[in-house]
Amino acid sequence: MIEKKLQIINKLGLHARAAAKLSHLANMYKADVFLIYNGDKVNAKSLLGILTLAASVGNEITIQARGSDAKEAASAIAELFQRKFDEES
Amino acid sequence: MVKGLMITHGKLGKELLDVAEKILERKVDVTHIPFDWQGDGSDMLRQIERFIHAHRDCDIVIFTDMFGGSPANIATRFVGPRIEVVSGINLPGLLKFLSWQERAINFKELIKRIEQEAKDGITAMSAYLGEKKHD
Repeated sequence: MIEKKLQIINKLGLHARAAAKLSHLANMYKADVFLIYNGDKVNAKSLLGILTLAASVGNEITIQARGSDAKEAASAIAELFQRKFDEES
Repeated sequence: MVKGLMITHGKLGKELLDVAEKILERKVDVTHIPFDWQGDGSDMLRQIERFIHAHRDCDIVIFTDMFGGSPANIATRFVGPRIEVVSGINLPGLLKFLSWQERAINFKELIKRIEQEAKDGITAMSAYLGEKKHD
């Protein structure tokens, strides 16, 4: 299992469009991917699941990925966070 | 392949689809039929029939805004093995459909997921915040 800690650095946090991008990306991998924040663990492939975390800028999220392509999934998601979900230049 | 049809009072359904497209940043494959407030529903009925005929090889989900409303009542006449009507659709339910529309999933299972997501999407925020505080 791969586990990474990710900082939310985009201004709007995990809002609807960011969550849509994240779940779309997670769905491209076979691995089970979960996000953990503030004691809640949600399926990263579920848009609504991600939204229920209500995570904002500055918050730290833990990502867990399990499966044959877990490493690639976790890296791709970490990169999406780094790119601020392509919302800001 | 699953096709989606949106029939609501006024522009509600069109707005839901526009918002979903903005969130997902892509065009979505759901056809909107506007409800004519002045008419007797016969025009809507014909449009639904045409849509169903054009997609007779597909499973079809018809989304309507409220159980018992005219759009839902008209759509419900078409319920069958390959046609389901989901009333009271909201953004979470619609997004769930759009996420799973093109994946190989059993039609009944898809309907169950849409219904559950739409129900789960309704939250009294004070209760939600209360739960959080007790964690």
